[in-house]
Amino acid sequence: MKSILLLEDLPQIRAWLEDLLHEVFPQAQIAQAARVHEAQSLVSALAFELALIDLGLPDGSGVDVIAALREQQPEALSVVVSIHDDDEHLFPALQAGAYGYILKEQSREQIKVQLERIAQGEPPLSPSIARKVIAHFAAQARPQVPAIPHVQLTDRENEVLLRVAKGYTLPEIGQQLGLSRHTIADYVKQIYRKLNVSSRAEAALEAQRLGLFGRR
Amino acid sequence: MRPSAVALVLRLLLALLLLAAALAAQGQPRLDFRAALSAAGDSVVFPADAAARTVALPDEWARSRPGSGGPVWYRIEFEAPDAWIRGDLLGLYVERACSAIEVQLNGERVHLGGRLAPPPSRLCHRPQLVALPAALLRAGTNTVDVKVVGYPLAALASRQRAGGLSALQLGRYAELQAQYTRRHALQVMLPQIASTALLLTGAFMLLLGGVRREHVHLAYYGLFAIGWGLVGARLWWAELPVSGHAADLLLVAFMPLVVAATVLFVLRYAGIAGARWVDLALVAQCLIVPLTLLLAGPQRLFTVASGWYALFVIQIAIAIGLHLRVLWVHQRRRVAPMAALMLAGLLLLLAELAAQRYAAPAGWVVLPQLLIAAAIVAMGLYLLREHRQVLQRVEADRHSLEARVREATAQIERNFEQLAELRVEQVTQQERKRIAADLHDDLGAKLLTIVHTSHDDRIAALAREALDEMRLSVRGLTGKPVRLTDALADWRAEAVSRLAQTGIEAEWHDTVRDDTPTLSARVYVQTTRILREAINNILKHSGATRCVLRVSLEGGDFGLSIQDNGRGIPLELDGRLDRGHGMTSMKHRAKQMHGQCLVESGPGLGTVIRLTLPLESPPRSA
Repeated sequence: MKSILLLEDLPQIRAWLEDLLHEVFPQAQIAQAARVHEAQSLVSALAFELALIDLGLPDGSGVDVIAALREQQPEALSVVVSIHDDDEHLFPALQAGAYGYILKEQSREQIKVQLERIAQGEPPLSPSIARKVIAHFAAQARPQVPAIPHVQLTDRENEVLLRVAKGYTLPEIGQQLGLSRHTIADYVKQIYRKLNVSSRAEAALEAQRLGLFGRR
Repeated sequence: MRPSAVALVLRLLLALLLLAAALAAQGQPRLDFRAALSAAGDSVVFPADAAARTVALPDEWARSRPGSGGPVWYRIEFEAPDAWIRGDLLGLYVERACSAIEVQLNGERVHLGGRLAPPPSRLCHRPQLVALPAALLRAGTNTVDVKVVGYPLAALASRQRAGGLSALQLGRYAELQAQYTRRHALQVMLPQIASTALLLTGAFMLLLGGVRREHVHLAYYGLFAIGWGLVGARLWWAELPVSGHAADLLLVAFMPLVVAATVLFVLRYAGIAGARWVDLALVAQCLIVPLTLLLAGPQRLFTVASGWYALFVIQIAIAIGLHLRVLWVHQRRRVAPMAALMLAGLLLLLAELAAQRYAAPAGWVVLPQLLIAAAIVAMGLYLLREHRQVLQRVEADRHSLEARVREATAQIERNFEQLAELRVEQVTQQERKRIAADLHDDLGAKLLTIVHTSHDDRIAALAREALDEMRLSVRGLTGKPVRLTDALADWRAEAVSRLAQTGIEAEWHDTVRDDTPTLSARVYVQTTRILREAINNILKHSGATRCVLRVSLEGGDFGLSIQDNGRGIPLELDGRLDRGHGMTSMKHRAKQMHGQCLVESGPGLGTVIRLTLPLESPPRSA
């Protein structure tokens, strides 16, 4: 990782996270921001490989920065760093394009491990998030919502999701399905990507339905 | 006794003879004149100079003197015995004289039946009774002259109004009066009543039907009834200021209107909207008929009118046919009464036409007319009955509609109340969320800073616990219950992945298949913390290589055991047992949930932590 965006409003926590990032990615350039609008201008100006983004900020939500990154720098990995451990906060961030989430209160060691794994292409997927993803795609498959064919999950992806929802870890699922750890990780990345795409399509449809577009 | 008996018999016979003689002397004058001396001429008295000839009575000019409109004189003579002259008043009964007469007795005018000057009155349907004053009677031969003025058949539309004179009857005025009254009632009064009834019924139905579009057939019925009422009025409407020809022309010209009303009623009544051309044709007919009558001229009215009448009957018959066909398809139950009524009407109409076209026996002439009126009134009553049923249905519908409106209103009120409750619920929820967010942003951020910046592990641990507590309080405000199976999945994923990360072999034994139990948010979070702490201990202190986790659900109690094969916890001192192991906080949490947390351990024996929680009515105490 060469360039990292760090968005956190509390100076001490930001410093602590910066320290942690230096430890995990010694080579990296870290751009810091304490407000959503600062982060937005950084996203427009610089290219990032990784972004740690807090959600609750004085001038808005970090979800907007995640969406902007997804829009402008699709290759960048957005990771939520939050005090909130409930899905009501995390799921919208994942829909906006986040690739993982880290709870701030965890110990330094735990956070380090999680960061490393995300950087290696293994985004975390908890059972409760998996349940939410399943519910999201099930709602999209309902006939009254015009589904977008290319954002349907494949059978394999569904299989992985179902097993995650039941509490199996990714390595366990890899064993059960006879697949490598990387393949499973790819499925998870695929699921996150499709969640983002389908959520955006859904939002566009919703906007169209509400008449935000195409009305003079 | 015998002689007296004979005498009695004799005296009785004598009495009878005397009575008979007296009766004979009194005389029972009753003469029917079936023939009369007849001569044409517009003179003041019987034209003695004209060529008179004897004609049979009744005398119809259409046969005896075609094309003639009179005046024609008829003379009858009779011998009047003295008894007649001194007896009751004599009368001459003229059953039918068409259309106006003057009667002279022995050269003196005794009766004027209508206006003889053109245009003569139309009294064809009116019987006439002429009193023959005794003062004018002569002993011996008396002469009665009757001057008749009428119209030739060709100029009229009906044979009933063609010129002529019926047989004459001479007799006691009182006796003839009874006959006259009967005939007058039949031919004048009943038609008057019928016409009035039709006009009233028609007007009533016209008003009733004009109100609403779906009752349009009632309006057509009204026109139909009024039309026939007016047509029937010809029987008693004698004095017209126009000639008989003009009157009949008007009558025939009026007929298409009546026919149109009839046809439209019959069609609309069956719900047949009818093609537009039908309506147009009926209207056109109303114009064409008078035109043809005018073109035909006074000499051919009868012929042309007869043709039109036939055509009218055909139109009505077709309408009736269509009506019955529709009924047959849709309302077979009603076919029989309607067919009977309409076909009877049609037959009566034919009879009426026949009576107009051909000579009908006197007394039968008006019957079809009266029966048609009766049929039309019957139809009106039937329609009224139907209308009443419709009104009743509408009333019933209105009642049920009102009931539905009341129901819907009640429903709306209920919904409104529910909405209000929901709104309160929403506002409460929003407020909870706002408080939760404030706590996180403020208190949470500060605790977090302590967690990550304190160099003292104990303080960091305390801050982390405080953070948990805060979060639990917030969950208590906003948290939803969690399904046990979902909670188990979360716990399994966390425990197994954390153990696996450090290379500890993890086994998870889960026998819970019941999908229904739920945990309150508080119990879920507390249990998560206990499990997390237990795994922390294993990772940090145990040196274990293997960990077995078992979940059970027995009699409403939830059980979780965590067993490792590590070093175990050294039991140095009671107070020190917990050093860095978080055992106290685990037990404290379990107690808060009305459960218990047991630790079994010994040096080299590994550690088993057994958590037992009651699932029912999870406590909400702090």
